[in-house]
Amino acid sequence: MNMDDRYGADALERAILELPLEETPEGLRTSILMATAYRPAPAFSFFELAVVGSLGAVALWLIVLLVMGGGSLFVHTLATIGAGLSRALSNPAILAWIAAGGATALWVSLFTGSQPAVAASRRSERRAGR
Amino acid sequence: MRAEPSDGDLVTMTLRGNSEAFATLVERYDRAVYHLAYRTLHDVEEARDATQEAFFKAFRSLRTFKPEAKFSTWIFAITYHACCDRLSRRKHYSGDELPERADPTPGPEQRVIALDEASRLRAAIDALPEKYRTVVTLFHLQGRQYEEIATVLGLPMGTVKTHLFRAKEQLRRLLGEMEVTES
Repeated sequence: MNMDDRYGADALERAILELPLEETPEGLRTSILMATAYRPAPAFSFFELAVVGSLGAVALWLIVLLVMGGGSLFVHTLATIGAGLSRALSNPAILAWIAAGGATALWVSLFTGSQPAVAASRRSERRAGR
Repeated sequence: MRAEPSDGDLVTMTLRGNSEAFATLVERYDRAVYHLAYRTLHDVEEARDATQEAFFKAFRSLRTFKPEAKFSTWIFAITYHACCDRLSRRKHYSGDELPERADPTPGPEQRVIALDEASRLRAAIDALPEKYRTVVTLFHLQGRQYEEIATVLGLPMGTVKTHLFRAKEQLRRLLGEMEVTES
């Protein structure tokens, strides 16, 4: 067979299409699956971590107040915080900003990979059910 | 007998929380994705990382997958972009005409020893300039679906056809040279 027959347009196309694919390295599929579909669910969600962290920070701050200024400073600070909170929550503008922030966070979460977390949590539920 | 679910069905099932569906997609395409990455990068470790990265990105952005699109085209496009990022990080990636990769493996002349046709053809493909090699690799993976290849590469279909035509011309020349050297 001469070169023109062997490497004619059709023959060359056929030869390309029939080339075997590269063998994947050992363990590649497992590592892909462990990073995606079978990724272990995180122990805490981001929201849970944020809440616990904030509460921890407030608690630490109050402890520091107690240690530094005694009971009166502690009570005074709590009263100030309470007054500030009630003032803020009775202000329609502040409430509107909080609502807008919450809605934006919810909307953004729809486009930033909340799906894998859902899949992971369902998987862990299934595992727990076994 | 139940028909195999389509790629689109598997995407939908994954989005509903069925992780086994995504595992099926990985089983269907991991070899092809790795092939594309390896043929583009010519480095086992980098190809491995690019394959993982492509599937991870696909998983993370599965919601953005358009049901009317082909999953293979989508995952190949993600892979191709991951490979381009790696190539540009190597600083061997510039302008239209990409330089020959810094590959320690021997060139086509040295590969003449390869006995079978497939090895010879693969060596000839390896010797092509980057842009032709990628088009030939995608042609290998997707067949004569020029529109899909154009989508993956983000090039006009005419350019893809031209690249493929020139790639095949160069391949014929390289294979001819190999044959002469061999005999």
